Amino acid sequence: MDPGDAVNPQTGEANPYLPEVAANPIPFYERLRDHLPVAMFEGFGRGTWIISRYEDVRWALKHPEIFSSDFVAVDIGQDRPLIPLQIDPPEHAKYRRVIDPTIGPHEVAPLEGELRVVVNDVIDSFIARGSVDAHAEFTVPLPCIVFLSMCGLPLEDLDKLLVWKDNIIRPNTGDPEQDAKVRRATGAALYAYFEDAIDQRRGGSGTDLLTRFLTSEVDGRSMSQEEMLDICYLFVLGGLDTVTSTLDCSLAHLAQDPIQRQLLADDQSIVPAAVEEMLRYHTPVMQILRAVAQPVELHGHKFEVGDTVMLMLGSADTDPTEFGEDASEFDATREVNRHLAFGGGPHRCLGSHLARLELRVALEEWHRRIPDYTVAEGAHLEYSPGIREIVSLPLVFEPVTVAVAE
Amino acid sequence: MMRIHFEPDACVGHGRCYALAPQVFDADDLGHCVVLLSEPPAELADAARLAVASCPEDALTIDE
Repeated sequence: MDPGDAVNPQTGEANPYLPEVAANPIPFYERLRDHLPVAMFEGFGRGTWIISRYEDVRWALKHPEIFSSDFVAVDIGQDRPLIPLQIDPPEHAKYRRVIDPTIGPHEVAPLEGELRVVVNDVIDSFIARGSVDAHAEFTVPLPCIVFLSMCGLPLEDLDKLLVWKDNIIRPNTGDPEQDAKVRRATGAALYAYFEDAIDQRRGGSGTDLLTRFLTSEVDGRSMSQEEMLDICYLFVLGGLDTVTSTLDCSLAHLAQDPIQRQLLADDQSIVPAAVEEMLRYHTPVMQILRAVAQPVELHGHKFEVGDTVMLMLGSADTDPTEFGEDASEFDATREVNRHLAFGGGPHRCLGSHLARLELRVALEEWHRRIPDYTVAEGAHLEYSPGIREIVSLPLVFEPVTVAVAE
Repeated sequence: MMRIHFEPDACVGHGRCYALAPQVFDADDLGHCVVLLSEPPAELADAARLAVASCPEDALTIDE
């Protein structure tokens, strides 16, 4: 089907949760913005309103008093609201003041050297083969290794964390009730794991994130065990999947766009701009949810308190009213780029500085060592809806022999 | 001479300004903007303009 057909101006409905849309969302976004700036998605067991134009999405993000995050929109197996994702201002800012400095731009910058080593080690593991499932072997392990290292957790826990993350984000049992059960059980395991990790660090003097949370104060008091767990839960869900999906989208894109790929391989100074363009053009987190906390009207539609609203970030990011006539084209050298891939307003992604560093170093090292690559012949790239991971990303390139140290 | 105005309440730390014009802007520990040069010299003017135009929250403005 054509992704644009997922928008039905006659009924006012749209469905972003189709694999065809996730694989090629731009025609879907365009039809949404042009025909249904407020659309209805009959999913998640109840109706959700979709907002899709850049200015509308930006406005909603800036008004948490109208579009609240203080609710549990989607069952992700959690016992309590995730901190600070599901906490509204002013309470929200107290937590951001503690968490943001642990992964702020100056804090993550010194990790660059170590990160470059990790990226190269991962590339070493497949470069001699001339082929790779870039999703399974590159984009999945990278952010997880970084996360484990920052939390001071053993690398052996990698596989366990990956299974948990996937069980929560996409259990895919085919049955909503079964999905909920898997999420609950996984959530319980995740809490227990971090409870243990936090207990081990009590009284310690490490510099890892968990020890830093133990010694930080919110409102002049130490954080409770539950508060720390609610932050860890968010870090696992937010920190692992999003960088993976951005790298999936980036490598798949460049594998099929030799002109832009050449630009990147020839001049690494454009990588930071290319990262921003990847975030804009592909907006791997397609949408985020809010709950209406005050009656409000938009394009003649009256929202009522308690309505669920989906802010279609990907659609905002390809809106020509903000990005010009070439909004639906990828341009690694685009200059002004006010994308909302990390959201906006007070809830803007707190991991973005680390994410940008990981994305930049990964793309720099990949293109330094593998400047020329294509999608393996006959491969079908399947994108998962919501957060646009590519289930399997087989790439082929000229094999390179890696010198092995004796 | 250009003059840069910064609205701290509007800044949420997108970080576009200090990425695009690191000699004109820096980050505080939260990742929010710190204006280093509110009247940047001519050789930094283009970078400053691009940085200001790139703020998704309109936290930065320029008087020329």
